[in-house]
Amino acid sequence: MISEEIKKSLRRAVGAENVLDSDIDRFGYSYDSSSMPILPAYKPDVVVLPTTAEEVSKVMAIAFAHGIPVTPRGAASNRTGGSVPLEGGIVLSLDRMTKILELDEDNMMVTTEPGVRTIDLYNYCAAKGLFFPPDPASWKVSTIGGNIAENAGGMRAVKYGVVSDYVMALEVVLADGTILNTGGKAIKNVTGYDLKHLFTGSEGTLGIITKATLKLIPMPKQRGTLQIMFKSLDAACATIQKMLQENIVPAAAEVMDKTSLDIVSKKRKVILDPVIESCAIIEIDGEDQDALDAQAKRIEAVASALGAVNFQVAQSQSESDELWAMRRGLSQAVAALAPNRIGEDIAVPRGSFPEVVRRIKKLGEKYDLTIVVYGHAGDGNLHPTVLCDYTDAELMERVHKAIDGIFEAALAVGGTLSGEHGIGISKKPYIVQALGQAGVETMKVIKQALDPKGILNPGKIW
Amino acid sequence: MLTNKSEELLREAEQIVAQCERCGNCLTACPLFKVVNIERVGPRGKNILTRALAQGGVEPDSKALDVVNFCLLCRSCVEACPSKLKTDAAMVNVRQYLMDKAGGPGIKYKTLGSVMKSRNVVKMAAGMLAVLRKTGLNCLVPYGMAPEEYTREQLPGASSGPAAFGKQAAPAEIELTAASKVAYFYGCGMRMMFPEAAAQTVEILKSVTRPMLKDNHCCGLPHLGHGLRGDFLELAKKNIALFEDADVVVSDCASCSGTLKHIAEYFADDAEWKDRAAAFSRKVMDLSEYLVKAGYRPRQRVEARLTYHDSCHLGRGQGVKTQPRELLKAAGNFVEMTDADTCCGGAGSFHMDYPDIAAKILASKRGNIEKTGADVVVASCPVCLVQMTKAAEASGGKFKAMHISQVI
Ligand SMILES: Cc1cc2nc3c(=O)[nH]c(=O)nc-3n(C[C@H](O)[C@H](O)[C@H](O)COP(=O)(O)OP(=O)(O)OC[C@H]3O[C@@H](n4cnc5c(N)ncnc54)[C@H](O)[C@@H]3O)c2cc1C
Ligand code: SF4
Ligand code: SF4
Repeated sequence: MISEEIKKSLRRAVGAENVLDSDIDRFGYSYDSSSMPILPAYKPDVVVLPTTAEEVSKVMAIAFAHGIPVTPRGAASNRTGGSVPLEGGIVLSLDRMTKILELDEDNMMVTTEPGVRTIDLYNYCAAKGLFFPPDPASWKVSTIGGNIAENAGGMRAVKYGVVSDYVMALEVVLADGTILNTGGKAIKNVTGYDLKHLFTGSEGTLGIITKATLKLIPMPKQRGTLQIMFKSLDAACATIQKMLQENIVPAAAEVMDKTSLDIVSKKRKVILDPVIESCAIIEIDGEDQDALDAQAKRIEAVASALGAVNFQVAQSQSESDELWAMRRGLSQAVAALAPNRIGEDIAVPRGSFPEVVRRIKKLGEKYDLTIVVYGHAGDGNLHPTVLCDYTDAELMERVHKAIDGIFEAALAVGGTLSGEHGIGISKKPYIVQALGQAGVETMKVIKQALDPKGILNPGKIW
Repeated sequence: MLTNKSEELLREAEQIVAQCERCGNCLTACPLFKVVNIERVGPRGKNILTRALAQGGVEPDSKALDVVNFCLLCRSCVEACPSKLKTDAAMVNVRQYLMDKAGGPGIKYKTLGSVMKSRNVVKMAAGMLAVLRKTGLNCLVPYGMAPEEYTREQLPGASSGPAAFGKQAAPAEIELTAASKVAYFYGCGMRMMFPEAAAQTVEILKSVTRPMLKDNHCCGLPHLGHGLRGDFLELAKKNIALFEDADVVVSDCASCSGTLKHIAEYFADDAEWKDRAAAFSRKVMDLSEYLVKAGYRPRQRVEARLTYHDSCHLGRGQGVKTQPRELLKAAGNFVEMTDADTCCGGAGSFHMDYPDIAAKILASKRGNIEKTGADVVVASCPVCLVQMTKAAEASGGKFKAMHISQVI
């Protein structure tokens, strides 16, 4: 419990209207978008909504002095329990720090506060012809701070990488309230340890990101969408691999398995040729239409050599939307199938994609569960989704065994636990398996050095 | 009194929100969350609170009621949600549940509810407002809404109240023939605040048909939205009986038509009223919906620039979006505004219960109207029109606000 005295000093630090402590508000900041049950609720003692780095610094100084846990929070769109205040204390919600501070067109960089929503930053830069590529599917709601803390990525990762590929400099408030600046606008900045990348992906356990300078690239002038149907999942994956080997790099390459296709076509009331077992949806981009046509032609050659049964190029924006609707409608269509579902997020070497899918399908048979598999085949990031019902204990036991199996399958082929959603609470049990004992110990030493009292987002990652 | 019915309403709400994935897609769509970004205000917060209420994790007290009351029921979240989760419907249920639990709605809504239940009192109130209305304002400019104090008293019942429904009411499928008997539904809001506009509606109807003018009862939406479900059902029955001889019921208030189109759902389990209610709901049409179907051409064409504000209850609520635009394009120089379908902050009595918040929401609407350079902003709902009138005033006369029947 936080004393009235401490609450008073928090109010002084950020203004009374930016401190919430009613029961209902505390409940509102007890959950995130993970599949953790909402009850019993991990309510924070108090929610603090700062608007400047100085305020964050004051809040951290107070928390540090009294050993109060602090859980940073963006939009709580993470899938792994990362912004759930496991040990109560303060939820530090950064979504009121919403200023984009500078667009440096000469250097092609943008400097922003952490509470800016991903889509807003994208649009802001796009208006100037500059491109901030990381596009988590949650981009309408997620914040840049949350993206950096989770090292988020999206469909375009295959060509453009993840958030850490764009982080140039960070301002971070440390556990004791010290404000640290790391990195800068110089591209060749190799002085000392690379702290900016240490904080990127640290899930709020090492410091609070209060400002970020991000690299931008020129906006591709043209985009195109292709849809290719295959008789097997292997053929779809092989096509994407072959494309990459031939240096045709798609902006996005999504693959859906047979179950996914069945679900979407049922929902959208389309009948698919029964020979079709998988589908790839590919986005290409380039300087002009000729460049796109050339790419599409090469992709078609690769795909047909590998036995594609249907190849379609969107001729207009609406056709492209239509093709993407297949993929976008998936998550919603899957959600309608069962009372609950657990969507996982493993990443494997691209070459192992079909093998992992096969293993996952076997798990589905073994435990008598429906597991839908889709994902970003271009970068080996899969989202196996297990349909379930939280109220059915026997079923849930099988679900958890299957999920253990999914992680084992990922690790067995040299993959990892998370492609984009982080570790948070839900994947903690697997962390040693993924990083090795030495890896985890090294991280713990870093954590101990930066957060000696263990107040920053306690209970996460390990 | 906590009846089985109210427990059932909570269970229904729980079933709705059980589908919430907590993804947050709805957050930025919510006009209230834009102004007050606190989790409990956003649709996700409201849904998860509902779930916790049903599972016994949060106290069903007045604080919880404040949360569910603080909702425009504008359905923007429903549109933004990948699962089209009906937050608005859940909120209406939980309102009723919590009010029942607290022994019914507060004195304010109870009084208003009984005012709105009586045709005579509504008429009296309308008469009073008419006297108080400043003279010298012609029917084209409905600044003539009553002075603040009076509207504050009567407005909650006056028209919209919350959009109390789970799903969009489908545009009516009625076949119109020359012999169709068309009745006009005189909404309380139109009667009390915009009688001139209502008179224009009748005139327009007369130019295409011989409208039946009935002394109808309140549509019941204010009651439904404020925990007076029983009263709503009572009024609905009276209206169903009253309009049995009409083939088409036309309303120039988005909230009334939205409510009336949904009445069937409330009688689905009632053997006696089921069919009559369904027949009634089927024949309800919004004014512009009817006029376009009847082939009406606007009376005149003006050079003025016209823009249109989609009322939540008409656009999202009934899917009537193209018809008013079609009519306006024929009546003047139509310009589309940005975010035309974003809630104006009116939402029944919301703008009186939370004037500061409503003002902030309205300010961005005003900005969008001004950007179009329009001379007139047109709305199809009296509460929206009140808001538009405030916006027009705040703009210092850059534009005027009018009901659609005054323009076409
Ligand atoms: C429908 C859906 C689709 C998704 N798709 C993707 C996807 O395609 N790719 C992907 O990568 N992710 C995806 N996610 C996951 C999620 O959106 C990302 O993890 C996102 O980066 C979280 O951002 P947020 O602002 O919501 O942060 P939160 O969820 O609030 O926080 C995430 C973590 O970061 C910490 N944190 C937040 N802000 C700060 C800060 N300023 N300083 C320090 N720590 C901070 C929190 O403590 C927490 O540990 C998806 C989620 C949903 C619901
Ligand atoms: S109905 Fe409107 S006000 Fe209510 S939660 Fe949804 S978007 Fe917000
Ligand atoms: S968009 Fe729908 S599922 Fe997502 S949080 Fe909002 S209501 Fe829930």
